[in-house]
Amino acid sequence: MDTASFIIQQLINALFLGSIFALIALGYTMVYGIIELINFAHGELFTAGAFIGIIVLAALQKTGFVESHFVITLILVFGMAMAYVAVLGVAIEHVAYKPLRRASRLAAILSALGMSIFLSNGMMLSQGVSDRAYPSILGIEGFSILDARITYGQVFIIVLSLLLMVALQMFVNWTKLGKAMRATAQNQTMARMLGIDIDKTIRVTFMIGPALGAAAGVMVGLYYGSVRFDMGFIYMIKAFAAAILGGIGSIPGAVLGGMIIGGVEVLWSAFLPSEWKDVTTFVVLILVLYLRPSGILGEHVSETRV
Amino acid sequence: MAELVLRNISKRFGGLLAVDNLDLDVSEGMILSLIGPNGAGKTTVFNMITGVYPPSHGTITYRGNKLNHLRSNRIIRNGIARTFQNIRLFKSMTVLENVQVGLHCRTKSGAFRALFRTPHQKQEEKEIIDRAMEILEFLGLVDYRNEYASYLPYGDQRRLEIARAVATQPHMLLLDEPAAGMNPRETAELMELIIKLRDTGLTIFLVEHDMRLVMGISEIVTVLDHGQKIAEGTPKQVQENERVIEAYLGTKSKERA
Amino acid sequence: MKRFGIFMLLLAFMLGFSSMAAAKTLKIGTLSPLTGPYAQDGTDILQGVKTAVAVFEKAGGIPGYDKIEVVPGDSACDGGKATMAANKLINSGVAGVVGAYCSSATIPASVPLNQANIVQITPASTHTDVTGRGFKQIFRMPPRDDVQAWSTVKFLEDGLKIKTLALIDDRQTYTVGLTENITEFAKEKNKIKIVALEHITPGDKDFTAVLTKLKRINPDVIYMGVYQPEGSLMVRQAKALGLKSKLLSEDAVFHPKFLEVGGKAAEGTYLTFAKAPETKERKEFEKTYKNMWKAKTVGSYGYYAYDAGMILLETIKKAGTKTNKMVDTLRNTTWSGVTGEIKFDYKGDRKLAHVIWIVKDGKFVPYWDPLTESYF
Repeated sequence: MDTASFIIQQLINALFLGSIFALIALGYTMVYGIIELINFAHGELFTAGAFIGIIVLAALQKTGFVESHFVITLILVFGMAMAYVAVLGVAIEHVAYKPLRRASRLAAILSALGMSIFLSNGMMLSQGVSDRAYPSILGIEGFSILDARITYGQVFIIVLSLLLMVALQMFVNWTKLGKAMRATAQNQTMARMLGIDIDKTIRVTFMIGPALGAAAGVMVGLYYGSVRFDMGFIYMIKAFAAAILGGIGSIPGAVLGGMIIGGVEVLWSAFLPSEWKDVTTFVVLILVLYLRPSGILGEHVSETRV
Repeated sequence: MAELVLRNISKRFGGLLAVDNLDLDVSEGMILSLIGPNGAGKTTVFNMITGVYPPSHGTITYRGNKLNHLRSNRIIRNGIARTFQNIRLFKSMTVLENVQVGLHCRTKSGAFRALFRTPHQKQEEKEIIDRAMEILEFLGLVDYRNEYASYLPYGDQRRLEIARAVATQPHMLLLDEPAAGMNPRETAELMELIIKLRDTGLTIFLVEHDMRLVMGISEIVTVLDHGQKIAEGTPKQVQENERVIEAYLGTKSKERA
Repeated sequence: MKRFGIFMLLLAFMLGFSSMAAAKTLKIGTLSPLTGPYAQDGTDILQGVKTAVAVFEKAGGIPGYDKIEVVPGDSACDGGKATMAANKLINSGVAGVVGAYCSSATIPASVPLNQANIVQITPASTHTDVTGRGFKQIFRMPPRDDVQAWSTVKFLEDGLKIKTLALIDDRQTYTVGLTENITEFAKEKNKIKIVALEHITPGDKDFTAVLTKLKRINPDVIYMGVYQPEGSLMVRQAKALGLKSKLLSEDAVFHPKFLEVGGKAAEGTYLTFAKAPETKERKEFEKTYKNMWKAKTVGSYGYYAYDAGMILLETIKKAGTKTNKMVDTLRNTTWSGVTGEIKFDYKGDRKLAHVIWIVKDGKFVPYWDPLTESYF
């Protein structure tokens, strides 16, 4: 494997990992943007998405539907996982966060942590403690660029996550609800004063953020091949770091942050001692926050929050 | 009956009685100003009308509907819009987007249609842009439409606040110190603009410190001091009222001390 | 005063009754990760011990006891949690403990158990230090790391006859012990050059960066010193990246889950694990276990845990619950279990060697025996 192929391969690895981190980071950043709450349960919503995916997929596989209708299968698996988790997200908001909206921030954070533990244990009890094997429908076939390999599954996942990110950006910029969301994020009182239904806007945020997390969960399951009730934790840490790095509250920031965290992780392991990988990721985070306390693209947030 | 009716309105913050048993009528199509020394409770009145907080006592009726415990977004839909003393623009949105947000409360598409962008939704979006452009034109902001709100000169930011409030298609516009921080030329332009807005059929309810503006355009002036109404009448009547002069001078001398 | 006397009398009765009741229940403890990434193996261990108790009770139990109770402890593959769980077991008055799983949990947890002088049999931990610190009451079911490392190097030198080897570990006590021992043994004859030592983080899912690095070095064999969850993902990613190196792993990956998650990508992977004779008892145990737990397969450590539970109960039946007598009995008896003949040496280790297995057609198949240097 020559150096060029090596670098291309590592960039592919980084892009893949980065897109998944980015997709999860979006959920943190959207929720934070709108109610200034770190939704610690987001990692569990991601895991729940992966479980819904495996349940739907396993059911479809029994009927032989997967082989005959591959594309519809994918749509169903992603669609149902996202829809279910969107509902779950709204339910969590209603039960755990809405009653505390006027309480201290600490109370809301504790409620979020409690929700995270509750969901994690719920999944442990209902889905078991051990890894569940995901039906491998994406396969390991692929193609090579020089000597670097990329599987069709990876291409599919990268493209789908980029599409979801673009769709979100379009939604937020161009639609009425998207604008209502941005307005609410910037100044809740004023948004209400312009006739925006804040509760509805928050509900929609709690549908979209978790749904994106669920899509990431299905992607992780499909590509890596296994899911476990506690797998959300490590992704939560990385995606949370990504959201902070990019500037929490900023949607392009979350995408950028995800890509940077993925990139640092992969490229560090590629060229330097791999045992320092995680340390490096967080050193980068600390350095960036030292130089830009509101994150890379976080300036608008700090401006509007006083 | 007047368009907006306040009866026996009081507001208590802990031990402080900010508004004390206030009666106020705002009739359709007029310019009414609420003035008074700092801390007289003017902004508190606006906040109660627009649902930032409910009154401790009394009733607020708008076109026969009681507003007391409605949330702001419901009140806005009844036809009242307002601006704030400190500018509250959506700074990381463009001028056009700021106005669009204001227009959205008058459109129908629900959450799901917005998510999936139906043809109807697209049509509506187009109408919104057209309408927003009209409003910007009316307020002389059309050239700035793609600028971020935070990059506008101060006077234009104030104008944009008014534009955004107008976008909600109100019958009544509450302006909280719109001339604050403006230079005399900008204030003069603002006076013209307020009259222009009134001439389109809007009722204007103004809280303002700039006496030249208040006396220049108001039909009725109401004076508050320590939460109580101490005078009401035409600008001329109010200017000659002794209690008003006392209240202003008294406060001023206290401020100097 | 009179009232106080009655109260004392009542108290004495209650204490008396409760201690009488306790005398009829024999408690044995388990330590294994019931939560966290290794909960699968941990659950297998608990179920193995519970199966042993059920079988033992069915065969008549222990005279003098009505009931045998298993007190589960969650070691969570974490030194601190395992020590706390061990203390809990000590306080609940267990007669012996089966556990723990991760060496990094077993070693700290063994300290309070040693101080309380309670017999401990680990069904899984293979780090040399588990039995290497002079504790008299600790025993081990699987072969030690150095034995496993020796078998591994022997296979690479004389079985596969390779020249270059890359090592991966996850920086935990157990896996680092393995990679260190392999490095030592490989140095002795100097037939194999170790070209890389890489580390991964347990719980991670993406190892492509490290694997790409190894693809570039292209060693003859990559040794995966990891646990099953990471091992299963690693073989898939190695296949997807098109690595040509052969993959070799160890007993922590040797689990039916590895075959399930790894799927086709697991084919051709070599693993080290002890080989037990296919006895009637073993088949019987598998049947009982699967029925009892409604399981499709028996986890690899379920076998060791079952044997550990059985010999612990046998010992108590023969020698009572005095630790000194139990230790003598355990040491001086040759037991026959589902994992083969069990005879402990002075350290508490069995004479048991690993063989090399290969994944073929979705099954673990014995491949090469380092003792006889021959294929099966």
